[in-house]
Amino acid sequence: MRSAREAPAWVAASRVIIVAGKGGVGSTTTSAALALVAAEAGADVLLVAVDGKPGLGPLLGGEPLGPNEQTFNPIGATRGRISGRIRGRSIPADLAFGDYLALKGVGGLLRRAISAASLDVIAASTPGMEHLLVLGKIKELDRERAADLIIVDAPPAGHAAPFLRSASGLQQMVASGPVRDQADEVAAMLADASRCQCLLVTLAEETPVNEVIELAYDMEEDLGLALAPLVVNACWPDRVGLAITAAAAAKLEGIVLSASDRRALDAAATFGQARLTTQREQLARLDAQLPLPRIQLPRLATSRLQPADLATIARALAADPVQPVLSPARTSRTSSAATAASVASGASASPSGGRR
Amino acid sequence: MSKPPRTSLASLVHQSELLVTCGPGGVGKTTTAAALALSAAREGRRVIVVTVDPARRLADALGIDGSARSHDPREVAGAVTGGGSLWALMLDAETTFDRMITERSADVAQAQSILSNPVYRSIAGSLAGAQEYMAIERLHQLATGGEFDLVVLDTPPSRHAIDLLDAPDRLVKFFGHPMYRALTMPSRSFARVTNATSAAFVWAVRRLAGPTVVEDTINFFRALSGIEVGLRERAAEVGRILRAPTTTFVLVSSPRAEAVDEAHHLADALAAGGFPLGAVIVNLVHPTPTPLSDVASGNLHALADGALSQQAAFHRELSALACSERTQVAELEAAAGPAVVIEVPMFEGDIHDLAGLAALAGLLAPSEEHPVRA
Repeated sequence: MRSAREAPAWVAASRVIIVAGKGGVGSTTTSAALALVAAEAGADVLLVAVDGKPGLGPLLGGEPLGPNEQTFNPIGATRGRISGRIRGRSIPADLAFGDYLALKGVGGLLRRAISAASLDVIAASTPGMEHLLVLGKIKELDRERAADLIIVDAPPAGHAAPFLRSASGLQQMVASGPVRDQADEVAAMLADASRCQCLLVTLAEETPVNEVIELAYDMEEDLGLALAPLVVNACWPDRVGLAITAAAAAKLEGIVLSASDRRALDAAATFGQARLTTQREQLARLDAQLPLPRIQLPRLATSRLQPADLATIARALAADPVQPVLSPARTSRTSSAATAASVASGASASPSGGRR
Repeated sequence: MSKPPRTSLASLVHQSELLVTCGPGGVGKTTTAAALALSAAREGRRVIVVTVDPARRLADALGIDGSARSHDPREVAGAVTGGGSLWALMLDAETTFDRMITERSADVAQAQSILSNPVYRSIAGSLAGAQEYMAIERLHQLATGGEFDLVVLDTPPSRHAIDLLDAPDRLVKFFGHPMYRALTMPSRSFARVTNATSAAFVWAVRRLAGPTVVEDTINFFRALSGIEVGLRERAAEVGRILRAPTTTFVLVSSPRAEAVDEAHHLADALAAGGFPLGAVIVNLVHPTPTPLSDVASGNLHALADGALSQQAAFHRELSALACSERTQVAELEAAAGPAVVIEVPMFEGDIHDLAGLAALAGLLAPSEEHPVRA
């Protein structure tokens, strides 16, 4: 450790963390905050965006991510706290294809002739190939130890599952040859909890909760993917005081409020109470149906996050994950949930140990 | 004929023959499409809403749950009491593709050879742009079939541009690709291919994916040859329908910055493509609380933790959030140009039944017959 700040045990449990969630739940914000958490603990972090994700670079005070690596200079609230480093890049499929051909010893001229132009045809004739090429590139980055921590901002759900399943799909389609080897190697990385884990992000709302439960069991059962603690983004602080009227609350404090102030507070509290009720219900559903340790990230009072907000979110992300309240007996279905739990509870060695 | 500026959404819903909803993921696009369809149906029109991937409970409400996926439209029971009707259809790329192959093949033998090809079986649902293309194909049938007065098409969430609208071009480009041309040549001339690029391609695929895959792929492309002429014609025709004066695009967003950025991008892409944007709907907008008096703000700020301080803190946060959202909505208004912009407040829960859709319809396109029911 080079820093006073320690990363949570789960952050250090693997070199690759794939962040995935339905569109609009904040997986990009979570990826950026995770990079900050690890870099504050001294890690050399590489952020990889699979899709466009124009907001990711600016959130860290840099340019939108492109295929060329950029190093983010810590700005604002994060300045002076980062003892590690954050780099970022995207991996477009055509670039991954070119790199792959180079790796397989295909020469320059031929490579140029067949790479970009024929990717469409290859992708069409071999479904999942584009995704596999990108995952293959991430696997290479892991093998090269390109960073202490490689954070992959996965395509949104709907696309996250096909992305992560591409290797196992191609294993079924292709019996032998380099593509099969590539698929085998990617599948091995995904199934190895010491190399790779998946951080699922959701909101405490009905549809995102339904989808994350489904995605979690799919990823674990089909791919053997280890699951990091579940991140529930944009949670309101749980304020029991919203349940009573402003008049009653003022009386408790011995304060007299005007009728218009009481109405203003009551109207806001009624809305807040309704949101909190939904939030509590959905968290209870997660307790009952998804036995993963959980981290709640705060909803900030802005619709456009700034780098300073990211520091607030990173602090929440670095907090100890909480065990679900009504965790049912663990079965083989939830083996990696148990793994994540033991890692989260600090059962493993020192946070960033083992990797450096 | 161009529409007058700022036509209300109600009149767009009741006059258009095709409504296309598009926008980023997670903003309630499918729900919005269903509500608009319901609104038109209750005005007496025969309406079908075509969707790709509805959340389960909404699908249940529309009678198109995944287990009962069907190629045929289903009438939504209990939706309309007057003369109109509401139908729903969930698109299934694979089934539609199969049907198209069967219809377009010269004979049963050609259809069989395509449908039983292992490469086809694995790509039917995932060929570059296939899903979107199939939406187009289905759209064409529905828009020209005369069975419906209005088709509401809910497009899959899209990040970069409007995949659905690019799909015909992409598929056509695919069939015109030199690789494809080389691969579909009869075998003897195929062996003498001089085009260095395609030779290199075949060499690379053989080397990377193994010979079986190459053989199946080549057979598949050969079996497909001839079909692409029809595809090109269809694509061009749908392109005209999408730009017709009776077509309206509805952009759906939320006030969150990521969604707004994406919606802005989509609005630009629609304008560039000549697609008529009629309305922008901003879902999930937080309410703006009435401001507190200065006296109260001062008193409440100094309180120790308790019910009143919690209420004050929430009031403060909600005010800040709502204020921040105003900026985002203003950005969408700028992007909307002459299109009407409608804000929809955040509902207490997800909408998953007809009553919820009706309430939303009332907000989006209020009419005298169906006033807002809170």
